[in-house]
Amino acid sequence: MAAFTSYVSSAGQPSYSFPQQQSAPSHASRAPIQHSFYPYTDNGGSTLGISGDNFTIIAGDTRSTSGYNINTRYEPKLFRIGGEGSEHKGSKIVLSVVGFAADGHALKERLDTVVKMYRYQHGKEMSVNACAQRLSHILYNKRFFPYYVQAILGGVDEEGRGALYSYDPVGSYEREFCRAAGAGASLIMPFLDNQVNLKNQYEPAAPQGLEKPQLVPQPLQRAATEELVRDAFTSAVERHIEVGDGLQMMIITKDGIEEVFSPLKMD
Amino acid sequence: MNHLPQAWGRPRDDIYGAYDHSYLPQTHANTHPTTHTQSPVVTGTSVLGLKFKDGVVLAADNLASYGSLARFTDVKRLKPFNRKAVVGFGGDVSDMQYLDRLLNSLDVQENYSGAATTEEDDGEAPAATADGEGGEDKHKAILDAKNLHTYLSKVLYKRRSDFNPLWNAILVAGLTTPPPPAPSTSTSSPKDTTTSKPTGPAPSRKPIPYLAYADLLGTTYSSPTLATGFGAHLAVPIMRRAVPDEAAAAKLSREEAVEIVKKCMKVLFYRDARSMNEYSLCVIDGKGVDLQENIKLEGESWAFAEGIKGYGTQTV
Amino acid sequence: MNTLVARYSQPAAHTHAYNADEDSQQLIQDAAPQLSLNFALPPIASTAQWLRAMTDDHSNPNVPIKIAHGTTTLAFRFKGGIIVATDSRATAGNWIASQTVKKVIEINSALLGTMAGGAADCQYWLAYLGMQCRLHELRHKRRISVAAASKILANLVYSYKGMGLSMGTMCAGVTPTEGPALYYIDSDGTRLAGNLFCVGSGQTFAYGVLDAEYKYDMEEDEALELGRRSILAATHRDAYSGGFVNLYHVKEEGWVKHGFNDVNPQFWRYKLEKGEFSNVNAKLDETSGKV
Repeated sequence: MAAFTSYVSSAGQPSYSFPQQQSAPSHASRAPIQHSFYPYTDNGGSTLGISGDNFTIIAGDTRSTSGYNINTRYEPKLFRIGGEGSEHKGSKIVLSVVGFAADGHALKERLDTVVKMYRYQHGKEMSVNACAQRLSHILYNKRFFPYYVQAILGGVDEEGRGALYSYDPVGSYEREFCRAAGAGASLIMPFLDNQVNLKNQYEPAAPQGLEKPQLVPQPLQRAATEELVRDAFTSAVERHIEVGDGLQMMIITKDGIEEVFSPLKMD
Repeated sequence: MNHLPQAWGRPRDDIYGAYDHSYLPQTHANTHPTTHTQSPVVTGTSVLGLKFKDGVVLAADNLASYGSLARFTDVKRLKPFNRKAVVGFGGDVSDMQYLDRLLNSLDVQENYSGAATTEEDDGEAPAATADGEGGEDKHKAILDAKNLHTYLSKVLYKRRSDFNPLWNAILVAGLTTPPPPAPSTSTSSPKDTTTSKPTGPAPSRKPIPYLAYADLLGTTYSSPTLATGFGAHLAVPIMRRAVPDEAAAAKLSREEAVEIVKKCMKVLFYRDARSMNEYSLCVIDGKGVDLQENIKLEGESWAFAEGIKGYGTQTV
Repeated sequence: MNTLVARYSQPAAHTHAYNADEDSQQLIQDAAPQLSLNFALPPIASTAQWLRAMTDDHSNPNVPIKIAHGTTTLAFRFKGGIIVATDSRATAGNWIASQTVKKVIEINSALLGTMAGGAADCQYWLAYLGMQCRLHELRHKRRISVAAASKILANLVYSYKGMGLSMGTMCAGVTPTEGPALYYIDSDGTRLAGNLFCVGSGQTFAYGVLDAEYKYDMEEDEALELGRRSILAATHRDAYSGGFVNLYHVKEEGWVKHGFNDVNPQFWRYKLEKGEFSNVNAKLDETSGKV
């Protein structure tokens, strides 16, 4: 940020014809300002998703925090979407949300309703890519009063391959192979870049120079991916205070969702 | 929209006015005196909740403060809803009373609209003997603690989304019927590195203890030990030492649970300046709701204060 | 009077606080697939000020909600059609949110849009534009002109002016009536036709290269090369640009994609094979004998 100050003169005033910077909000001259209630909080935690050849893993820690307090050690951030009834029987889509947990719950309920209504109206399951686009629209619907969440959606696409979509708070989305979100994202994402997308890894025996070939990412195996997820979280727990307590993983395949829970450090 | 490269795409000050920090909470630079659209006036302090093997203990003192003034000393903050659910309120007292009226009208409506389906798995009919209510009632599917918590959290979330929050932090305690066993596609994998979920579905559908939190923002969570306000700092560590997880709660007896909560109430009275030595304590289990509203703090001793030195006027 | 009676004869749980009707309203609204124009607003007086306080990461690096931003995009007309090129980086504050964003949005087989500013704004409104273009085709039995398409978008964002949208987009297409047509539209409601545009935080760097080398009478490969080189220059100098070069060529038959290529090897190719970027002193490898 600081590197861009060269556009501005030393007095902090730019040399443009229109005013750029007012030193402080000049409320005296304007209508009375409305001091409003602050409607957000951050409940911490981290989530991550990796998609493979025929599966997708979505994982999240189960700690919920407010400030330096741990609210609870088990508050899932992963939600099954669709399926039958409140138990989501037969569901094949998982939504994970980090940020403000109450917004996360509201978002999950809306998406779940949409997916269930789709099935009642069309007599077939909603595909993941349709669900992903719909989630984007739900988020954008709150463009001017955003949901304070980072969402990751996982499932299996119509060709049977793992599908993973990541979102910003107002609904820009992208299909990816891996994505970390939340408090520990800056710790986990570089690890994933290196281990999943093999960024900055080259053929070891190849000669140095321009022709030095990059390693090409191979489709991941499920067992190895689960280990990768576990490693990512145990590492994040070591270095981030808002991550810990338990690791919840949901593995989505064509046969449904398999849930695995394993403990993390509780300090 | 700003077209200068360093701020490309951001709002321009001459169109939107200068960036106004006062919308953010106090932790950020704030040059204005902070007021809110609505803020608590008469308030209650902590509520504590602790699960034990067949129920939940809930406690809150009987004080309603007006700022630092101990204004009303006989305000009951634990509100029983029915034989399966009790709500404990912290925060603004008028909002508590509003929610109480709301819950009463909900209860009336529920009873008249006759959710007539029988609760087939609530077969032991524990309430019949305990609370002298009509025998008819026990066959009704009534709102349990979990349903009530869902309802209240939606009320709170809606009000926060209207920027007109109900300034409360609440605990909902009671019983709930666990969901039927999970479908076969989503069973836990039998790996040796994994353990079962802490709140895994119980094999039978006997009502299980339920304890959950909700607050003015609509934030919700559940844990075997919970406390609002100051209790989150002072009481939770004490309760967690005895009950670190669900497994420990499932071994705890009613007497032990009550003892731990009473101890926490004492610690809170010693250190929370907005607390009082008279409190309500409620036990919800299969037998129904057992609410005591005028418990005096026992074994109070300020002897420990003699040894505290180093602040206030006392320097030696 | 009837409303008054109705209001007080219902139980409080119905009329106050949480109203199930509101949820079912939401549910009905949710049930129909939508690109809705009914946006939720915070219930306060100055929504734009409030939104800015929550999301303007330039004025306050500690804002709670960080929206994906930042870009270099360019498009120019030449005798063989239009070249559209972008980088692929999205930043949220100083955090690189993604290096693989597709900033060229395929509105339909003949129209391209580019994405600069708020990523969600661009994605949503260009999807909305795609819908409107398709409806135009169905109503009028012919493809929409680029001028009309860009005007739909410009009018649309103008109606939201001052609410905090952030987008700078270019619409590129070739139609029989217009030939190659290129429009710039931004969230202020500006709509400009032109030969050459660079948009985003790296726009100045891209303009530097593009203006120096641009001629209308270029061959196709020359034009593609210029687009690529301009983006490369911007990714080199602008911290908020980087990742991959996304390159498209729009012709009358429709657009053609010319790759989504990593910036790094391209940079070294330009440096080592053509001797460009001589400001960088480091040699890739002394021993390889390739320098």
